[in-house]
Amino acid sequence: MTALLDINDLRVTFNTRYGEVTALDSVSLNVNAGETLGVVGESGCGKSITALATMGLIPSPPGRIAGGSIKLAGEELTGASDARLRALRGADIAMIFQEPMTSLNPVFTVGDQIAEAIMLHQKVSAAQAFKDAIALLDRVGIPSPAERARDYPHQLSGGMRQRVMIAMAVSCRPKVLIADEPTTALDVTVQAQIFDLLNEIQREFGAAIILITHDMGAISEMADRVAVMYAGRVIEQARADDVLDAPQHPYARGLIDCIPALGKGETELREIPGVVPPLHLLGAGCAFADRCAHKFARCESEKPLLADHGHHPAACHAVEEGRI
Amino acid sequence: MSTSFILRRLGYGLLLMLGVVVLNFLLIRLAPGDPAVVIAGEMGGATEEMLESIREEYGLNKPVLVQLWIYVSGVAQGNLGESFFFNQPVSKLIAQRIGPTILLVISAQLLSILIGVFLGVIAARKPNGLMSGFVTVFATIGYAVPVFWTGIMLIILFASALPIFPVEGMQSVKLRDAPFFTQAVDVAHHLVLPAFTLAIIYLAQYARLSRASMLEVLGSDYIRTARAKGASERSVLFRHALRNAALPILTVAGLQFGNLISGALLVETVFNWPGMGRLAFESILRRDYPTIMGVLFFASAMVVVANLLTDISYRWADPRLRGRS
Ligand SMILES: Nc1ncnc2c1ncn2[C@@H]1O[C@H](COP(=O)(O)OP(=O)(O)OP(=O)(O)O)[C@@H](O)[C@H]1O
Ligand SMILES: [Mg+2]
Repeated sequence: MTALLDINDLRVTFNTRYGEVTALDSVSLNVNAGETLGVVGESGCGKSITALATMGLIPSPPGRIAGGSIKLAGEELTGASDARLRALRGADIAMIFQEPMTSLNPVFTVGDQIAEAIMLHQKVSAAQAFKDAIALLDRVGIPSPAERARDYPHQLSGGMRQRVMIAMAVSCRPKVLIADEPTTALDVTVQAQIFDLLNEIQREFGAAIILITHDMGAISEMADRVAVMYAGRVIEQARADDVLDAPQHPYARGLIDCIPALGKGETELREIPGVVPPLHLLGAGCAFADRCAHKFARCESEKPLLADHGHHPAACHAVEEGRI
Repeated sequence: MSTSFILRRLGYGLLLMLGVVVLNFLLIRLAPGDPAVVIAGEMGGATEEMLESIREEYGLNKPVLVQLWIYVSGVAQGNLGESFFFNQPVSKLIAQRIGPTILLVISAQLLSILIGVFLGVIAARKPNGLMSGFVTVFATIGYAVPVFWTGIMLIILFASALPIFPVEGMQSVKLRDAPFFTQAVDVAHHLVLPAFTLAIIYLAQYARLSRASMLEVLGSDYIRTARAKGASERSVLFRHALRNAALPILTVAGLQFGNLISGALLVETVFNWPGMGRLAFESILRRDYPTIMGVLFFASAMVVVANLLTDISYRWADPRLRGRS
């Protein structure tokens, strides 16, 4: 059985002043209805680009989908016409963006912006769409929704704006909902509320959710399965519990170790030493090699592929050879 | 939009006009040259007694500050004085000519904004495309070329070589008694060349400005949101982006209005357009102070009104400014 959203061997490149760089390299992900896939990884590893590619929104130029396939309910999206993608965007597949402060248009009321999303895909009058928008604002927990609908984005707090974004994204009951770090800009209590809301909406609409985050805590609460990304590749993919309990790839191990162990006498946040290499400097070997404690000769010359080495799929020579 | 905001802005406008009146008066009165000699010259003789009686008649022998007071209080009551040259009230002279000037200036403003912004939006769609290059080149040329040259070129091209438009004036003499609609069409026909001449400089600027402004807006997160909803490219450009990109364009449109009025002076001279510009030009040559000051007064009033309208439209376009002073 094929998954609702099935991404296979996706490759995205950008033209930069260093020449063509590969932002995504053979990325394969899939997610089923009612399921939540967590995508984690450091800043710049390609999480948002994966999401934008799925939406057909890679800024082009300079970017393009250079290979692979993205199938939504069996329909290929990579070569689809602009008109077809427009019809799907916002209706069957919707996205909540990373930046709630700037993702709403400052010159329209939030009610109008939600109503617009409704009218783009459903045959309803403007008045009905606005009423539906108010109901959605109510649904995502915004108090006095009828008044708030007439507010402009700058009149709302960050948490409220993100709720508006969620209301807009679910307005047409999408089959796939991509939430790109929906809570990074928000404070902790609001984060918890937003996650609760996403959970409720998933139960109600049965949507597949792709939750992008670099917060492993959010993963453990929300995700059924996890894909760990590094420098444009998926380097580990499995059920969330498996990854959290027994991470394989040294990078995934590092990520899990970085979860602040509250109450265990831990006072400092740990982090993985070093930085992600810039895309144009990626060589023939493993992109993580320079930061890896388990590096050996093979890591410098050959890219490890995602494969099951006993526990669950990971892309690491050291794991494959049983060195760790 | 609050009424108190508009009232406050009107108050500022009136204060500003008072300043303008005082400054105009002082600047012109302090300039070298004796108006009495000029008036006498126009009358054809210049004995010292005659000059003295002219000074007496026009109040030119009073101290400057007293003259200023007489002038300012006159203006406050709607009396702009008498033209030295025409021996007619200045307000009457201006009343005959302000209509054509407003018509010219507003047509040029609308033409330049509408066409300029449209070109800019199209150019911003493909920042490295042909249209984008054309807009940049055209903007540079349009900005660099003097108005009178453009005017003469347009006359040569479209009035002389290809006689589609009249060379000069605002109306055809033979149509003076025609029904209103025929006259209006006639005036519009005469308006095309002068309005375009005046519009071209600003049109080019608006095109470049809106291209830059649109490019910035098109890169913003809310544009991506609009696309993510499934909005069409046209809606993204003209609904989501342009409304935001319009803010700097509005500011410049307000600021340019003053320049547009001084530009109108040249264009009116080139095309023999019967407006205030030509009156000002001729009055300067004749040292007809009351008329010059009257024209300056009305030009300033137009700028003040334009700025008020800019402020109002700015608030309309940007909700973040509403409810703030
Ligand atoms: N317009 C672009 N031109 C060139 N490179 C780009 C462009 N957009 C993204 N990239 C590159 O693609 C890579 C992935 O970016 P992406 O935004 O997907 O990161 P991310 O995982 O979402 O990071 P974050 O956690 O900071 O949001 C980055 O290395 C970035 O440099
Ligand atoms: Mg991102």
